[in-house]
Amino acid sequence: MSENNEKKVHGIVAEYTSVDSLLNACRRVRDAGYKKTDAFAPFAVHGIDKALGIKPTVLPWIVFGCGAVGAVVGLAMQIWMNSIDYPYIISGKPMISLPAFIPVAYELTILFAAFGAFFGMWALNGLPRFSNPIFTDPRFDRVTDDRFFLYIDSKDEQFDEAGIRQLFGDTGTDYIQTVVDDDSSSKVPKGFFVAWAVVIGLSVIPVLVVLKMRLTNSNLPRFHVFFDMDFSPSKDAQQTTTLFADGRAMRPDVAGTVARGDMLIDMDFMTGIDMEALTQVDARRAERLVRSFAEPSPQQAAEQPPVAAEDEKVAPEDDPAATDAAATPAAEAAENNDSQGEGSDEAETAKPAAPVAEPSVMDTTPWLTENPLELNKELLERGQTYFGIYCSVCHGLNGGGNGLVNRRAQKILATKWIPPSKLNQSTLAQDVYPDGKMFNTISNGIRKMPGYAAQITTRDRWAIVAYVRALQQSQNASIDEVPAAEQEAILKQQAEVKKQLEEQAAAEAAQAAAKPTEKE
Amino acid sequence: MSEHDTPAVKIADDPAFKLPTSLSSLSMPLCIGGVAVLLIGWACGSSVSAKFGMSAYLTAFMFCLTIALGSLFFVLIQHLVRAGWSVVVRRIAELFMVMVIPLGVLFLPVLATLLFGSGTLYNWDDPTYAEKNFLPMAIWTEKLRWLNQGWFTVRAILYFAIWSALAVWYFRRSVEQDETGEKAVSDRMQYWSGPAIMAFCGATSFAAFDWVMSLAPMWFSTMFGVYIFAGSVLAAHCTICITSFTLQRMGALRDEVTAEHYHDLGKFIFGFVFFWSYIAFSQYMLIWYGNIPEETHWIFERQLGAWGWIGIVLILFHWALPFLGTMSRHVRRNAPLITFWAVYLLAMHYVDLYWMIMPEAGSSMGGFMGVVSSLFCVVGMTAVMIGLVLRVADQTKVAAVRDPRLQESLAFENI
Repeated sequence: MSENNEKKVHGIVAEYTSVDSLLNACRRVRDAGYKKTDAFAPFAVHGIDKALGIKPTVLPWIVFGCGAVGAVVGLAMQIWMNSIDYPYIISGKPMISLPAFIPVAYELTILFAAFGAFFGMWALNGLPRFSNPIFTDPRFDRVTDDRFFLYIDSKDEQFDEAGIRQLFGDTGTDYIQTVVDDDSSSKVPKGFFVAWAVVIGLSVIPVLVVLKMRLTNSNLPRFHVFFDMDFSPSKDAQQTTTLFADGRAMRPDVAGTVARGDMLIDMDFMTGIDMEALTQVDARRAERLVRSFAEPSPQQAAEQPPVAAEDEKVAPEDDPAATDAAATPAAEAAENNDSQGEGSDEAETAKPAAPVAEPSVMDTTPWLTENPLELNKELLERGQTYFGIYCSVCHGLNGGGNGLVNRRAQKILATKWIPPSKLNQSTLAQDVYPDGKMFNTISNGIRKMPGYAAQITTRDRWAIVAYVRALQQSQNASIDEVPAAEQEAILKQQAEVKKQLEEQAAAEAAQAAAKPTEKE
Repeated sequence: MSEHDTPAVKIADDPAFKLPTSLSSLSMPLCIGGVAVLLIGWACGSSVSAKFGMSAYLTAFMFCLTIALGSLFFVLIQHLVRAGWSVVVRRIAELFMVMVIPLGVLFLPVLATLLFGSGTLYNWDDPTYAEKNFLPMAIWTEKLRWLNQGWFTVRAILYFAIWSALAVWYFRRSVEQDETGEKAVSDRMQYWSGPAIMAFCGATSFAAFDWVMSLAPMWFSTMFGVYIFAGSVLAAHCTICITSFTLQRMGALRDEVTAEHYHDLGKFIFGFVFFWSYIAFSQYMLIWYGNIPEETHWIFERQLGAWGWIGIVLILFHWALPFLGTMSRHVRRNAPLITFWAVYLLAMHYVDLYWMIMPEAGSSMGGFMGVVSSLFCVVGMTAVMIGLVLRVADQTKVAAVRDPRLQESLAFENI
């Protein structure tokens, strides 16, 4: 302290020439009870932690914690991104599919752990630190080469310069130095600022160029950096191409293509027929039905009508049903239904109609008697929606057969018009007209009614069936089926309507009685 | 330059390098008892079905073989990287690696079952297998070009020839050095370790395909060899750890194997626990993502019933638990603790092999007799192997006593 009285003392450093002398000195210093010490060597020295009494670092716990956080972040990020924020099915896997997330979670674990190790080490060592007072000693430069140093900080509780000098002296060193404040200039060199200014200046140029381009007008055509990104060589919809014989760039679906989520391989569900039972009755027809669904020919529509229209009541003489050909949908369509006039190559088409006495194929088919879907409010509402869109125009919103089209036909006295069925009539009740049969009718049409298989999905057709059943029930319901709480209101309403009707009838009768001559 | 007092290199005849008599006297009883237990286990398994008995035998065989092969790899890799730390425990691995020769004899029942059993163990040898399982004949005939009795036998001989040649050559050189202490011997072992490791990897990978993967002949995974290898190296490190701990308990190598060596073995155990999981997961994920029936069926069958639970046990107890358990350096530097984990992991290694092999023997675990059979087989086979190791060890030293790097290994210290 004598020569550097005015300067702050940071500590004392001693120089050693070998690892062993350093380690010995370390042990001496440790045993003397000094805590704030540090040793410097040109390479890592095994066992120096113990020799200097350095406590094991907490760094592993920081690394472990960061790694665990990385794993959690990786998983949470992917779960949130892929299944909550932007749900997206990849390869048909579930939204949260752990195996796919593990690689990313693993990498983030490593990344976070590495960050934890690197920045944790900085934090524990008090970095970044650009200068250390110990650097003032010119001999200290050799610590990166062939010298070893031991340092005791003045913040140590036992710090006592004379005592330490003596202790160091005993350890066989011939160089002991007090470390004092670095009084060299802390001014940042001018060149540093100049270099920064140049770099910043240069980096502004591209921004200025872009700004000029954005903000001023130009006669020059647009500059295409990536030409094939601006003008993609791929074809757009409706364009032509020479690659395919038909010249279409848009390729039709491959035969048998099923839309995502429409993989309905349940034949009962698709046809409304109990296929198991049909196999018993008519195996050939069952087989053909399955085939027609499995391998639709390219000309046919997405779904082929398995059984085409029948004409039971209006034109019974047209019923060709009992023939084998009846099972061939297209053939039947050709014979029966002018609205579905697709031809068929099958020879059986030419067969004459079988004797009338035989029962119709519509009656012998083992229809599903129950709706295969779970009946719930949601399904019925869906059925109501689709009934409203497709059915109500003819059948009326209440299924009473008096929709707008029918009213118009009556009004213009259309001769060829066949009135749509009243859906609540007894011949369409569930016990005589099974759900499967109704589904088939909706799918493939009947009489003037076209099939809706192409417009309404299978599921929605079943929903319509369910809704029609509800309509039927609503038209033939008794008051007992209404919840007790609402019965009274309905009865009251009913009575009022009845009263009104009676009054009206009475009034009309009175009018009629008053002017009997006018009527005749 | 060490904080420890480095133990002095003892003379080659020091009792510390001699197998304790308490252990050498166990050699005979272990061999005889092991064969008896193995036979009982096989008989119990055969009472479930002939296929089950042989599968239990194969599982036990693979357990011992993977330890021997892992030890062989350990020796080769130490020479390849010129490792100094491992010299004190290298002889233990050398003792286990020469076990590939007796294991070659123990493989004969498997080979005999193939040659005379008509598909008792390996389905592909059953001439009606393809027809019964509606396999596409075009693929099946191609498969049979590789999987047929003759070529399978030739390959098995080839694998054992490669392993035995490597094991014997390295063992002889090492023992020779016990006498001469020549550095030139070390140099030669290092010189040949590169080609040796290539031959080893080829033979091991294809043996895994042949002996385990072909149990499900239509299934394939190019990673399968690495999967077996990962478990194998893990098992070898565990075995070295357990053996050195036992030897120290019995009085040998007391000063030589220090916490530093356990620490390093522990690091490798930790690393290979993760490597095994990494490989197992990589194999699983590719199959899962590809989602091709011909690949997924192997995994699918192992997710049905009890096998599914064993699969979960493997994830939790072959990876998660030991991963956390061996992570701390305090555990690794504590010889009894890391030895506990080594024993535990060897048990899990058996469960891993069991999960690979036994589902092919039938959809159930064979009831009580099945479990007894599996346990007896592995205990018996392991006893035979340990008995033989002790016998070999008794005729030589338990450490490479005059290896030029012994001093370095003794002084070795982790930072």
